[in-house]
Amino acid sequence: MTSPATPGEAALPRAGFDVPTHPLALARSDAAAAHRLPIRFTGSGSEYFRIWIVNLLLTLVTLGLYYPWAKVRRLRYFHGNTLVGEHPLDFHGDPKKMLRGYLLVGAMAALYSVAGSFSAVAGLIAFVIVAALWPALLKSSMQFRLANTSWRGLRFRFKGSLRGAYAAMLPLFVPGLLFVAALAAMPDPEKPPQWFFAFFLAVMLGTVLLMPWLLWNLKKYQHDHYALAQWQTQLRATRGAFYGVFLKTLGVSLLAGLLLLGIVFLGAMAFGVAAALGGGGESRGTGAVVAALFALAAAAFGLLVVQLLPRPYLTSRLQNLLWGRTGNRSLRFRSTLGFRRLLGLTLKNWLLVALTLGLYWPFAAVATARLRLEAVSIETRTDPEALFDEARPADGEAAGDAAGDLLGFDIGL
Amino acid sequence: MPRATCSGSTLASDAAAGPPPATLAADYFDGRSARATPVTLRLAGGLLQVDGEGVSRREPVGAVQWPERTRHGLRVAHLADGASLHCADALAWDRWMRAGGHRESAVVRAQQSWRGVIAALVLLVLALAALYEWGVPAASRAVVALVPRSVDAVIGREALASIDQHLMKPSRLPAAQQERLRAAFGRAVATLPAGEAPAYQLLFRSSGIGPNAFALPDGSIILTDELVALVDGDEQVITGVLAHELGHVRHRHGMRMLVQVTALGAVASLVVGDFSTLLAGVPALLGQAGYSRDAERESDREAVRVLKAAGISPRVMVTFFERIGQWRDDEAGGDGPSKRDGPSGSALGIAISSHPADAERIRFFEDAARP
Repeated sequence: MTSPATPGEAALPRAGFDVPTHPLALARSDAAAAHRLPIRFTGSGSEYFRIWIVNLLLTLVTLGLYYPWAKVRRLRYFHGNTLVGEHPLDFHGDPKKMLRGYLLVGAMAALYSVAGSFSAVAGLIAFVIVAALWPALLKSSMQFRLANTSWRGLRFRFKGSLRGAYAAMLPLFVPGLLFVAALAAMPDPEKPPQWFFAFFLAVMLGTVLLMPWLLWNLKKYQHDHYALAQWQTQLRATRGAFYGVFLKTLGVSLLAGLLLLGIVFLGAMAFGVAAALGGGGESRGTGAVVAALFALAAAAFGLLVVQLLPRPYLTSRLQNLLWGRTGNRSLRFRSTLGFRRLLGLTLKNWLLVALTLGLYWPFAAVATARLRLEAVSIETRTDPEALFDEARPADGEAAGDAAGDLLGFDIGL
Repeated sequence: MPRATCSGSTLASDAAAGPPPATLAADYFDGRSARATPVTLRLAGGLLQVDGEGVSRREPVGAVQWPERTRHGLRVAHLADGASLHCADALAWDRWMRAGGHRESAVVRAQQSWRGVIAALVLLVLALAALYEWGVPAASRAVVALVPRSVDAVIGREALASIDQHLMKPSRLPAAQQERLRAAFGRAVATLPAGEAPAYQLLFRSSGIGPNAFALPDGSIILTDELVALVDGDEQVITGVLAHELGHVRHRHGMRMLVQVTALGAVASLVVGDFSTLLAGVPALLGQAGYSRDAERESDREAVRVLKAAGISPRVMVTFFERIGQWRDDEAGGDGPSKRDGPSGSALGIAISSHPADAERIRFFEDAARP
């Protein structure tokens, strides 16, 4: 930008403009030196705190109608501070369109909950309708989010098909359908026969065993269809790797449980020692109180450990697996999110959010985003400058985005 | 046309330090290619001028999606056709925008000043308090007023069927005693001014949950044999208890609770739901308990009204609370009376309890009994 733009220099890149779209030229540029695109997050907790407070107030006093504007502002802040190879991401969603989506989805959610409190049959019908629509909502939510996200002026796309969404998500409903079928087959649902409990256990166990596979199915659908100009990603992580991560998480959970037992045991020991040392009378009473308080604190801490330990483990390992194995022939992501750093941050966040009655939350959100995003980097053999989009992707349906919020879909980073 | 005029000379008075930057260097992306084109930006005559190698655009200022001022991050502006302008020097961009006569929205100004943020925080706390104190109760009253009574009837019927199946057995009270209690309560209700007593039906049951009386949304009031036995069948005490339940029916507390739970859950998830849905449940639960206690107080007032109209001293309710307290102590085992002001008496217990402390309610009925 600093060099004087002589006509000759300016003409050179212009002339080479269309070259990378030619297959042979693409192959040639693949062989070129790798480009490394680090991710840097420049957001600040105190600034997001200010944005968050003002957004929250406006959302509250408008009875929620301001929410889409608040969401766009939040996403623009987080996207705009995510620099990929020194170029920021950006979010373009139109709050007015999103508001229409929220009102539509809100009305549907209200109908759904009202149906549930009216009668069980109405609730069941509403559940089946939502389940049948869910995959379509997932697809349009992904489409909206990516089509409204840009980098270097190019919009992302989500190329997944509707059929793919159903194929990826319908297996998730199999356990529910089995239960409904079993209930229908029963002569009197109020007095379930003996076999039902065995059946119930078998289905639950099967679901737990199949969970990693189902999640893999869903992630495969998502990560196979992210696209930017010529780039389209593919998930090359195997089902086996997913099972590995979940098994290890189970191990960590068990370890956390053992840790809790150990702490409780130590607490009981301390209690015994205090009682023995205290002798009798007053001092014995205070000793017992101190020991009881210690045991209580230890139990609370232990419970927190069990609650908190496995989650960051799963998050870090799954992010590394998912993004480390996402890419294509000329593009790959790397993710090196450390478990211990994420655990430390999570503990700190929980503690401070609890101590500040929630006011620390924006700081926690920024710190978590920084840790998770900066753990990722991108390597590509295609010069990013050579990315070229034939046509601008469609904006996508805003209702899908609202539904995605409601049902908790996310891109996962 | 105006586009070529007055570039660089406008709004010179705006900047305090030095002449305002009339032009700004930025990167232009056309929305098709990831390659940036260096351009010069100019704001003049309501138009944004973008000039660079092979780029010459004039866009109405109102058609551009401008970035908001933030302390961190770059500046990206979007043109209507998908092209965008990027500027890494945020300070220069902001100065250039100001010089161009751009006015920031009040929201951005509030976000970027700590004074605005503290004002927002104070307003937020006030808004939450007002919402809890008046907003949610008023909204629930309005929503419930819109819900037809037939919905109450459906919900009440379902609830009664489920309660009968799992918790209750048919009453073993003699029919004559049932009739006497029914008549006593009917006489008390009949003393109310016309139109103030809701439709109700009194049902007798034998319970698995000890002495109790409760109202369902459809106007069913269920009285357990155990409660009748607890007060030795005293008609006046039972009339007081039933009048309290009638208050729940009259104010449609059951339906209002449903709406309030939903509203509180929505507000709580708005404020802390991003962080943890588990955490969002805590304020919702506490708020719900608070509303429940308010509903109990409202029904206690209703009980006093009915009792006074019927010429019965509200002191009969004190008898009831003493008996039920004794029963609770007996249930708790040999711990003695200390248990009574245990969990339900302490402030922490009150915060999560659905009923006010017995002591407070006894005081209320004693005060009401004074002439």
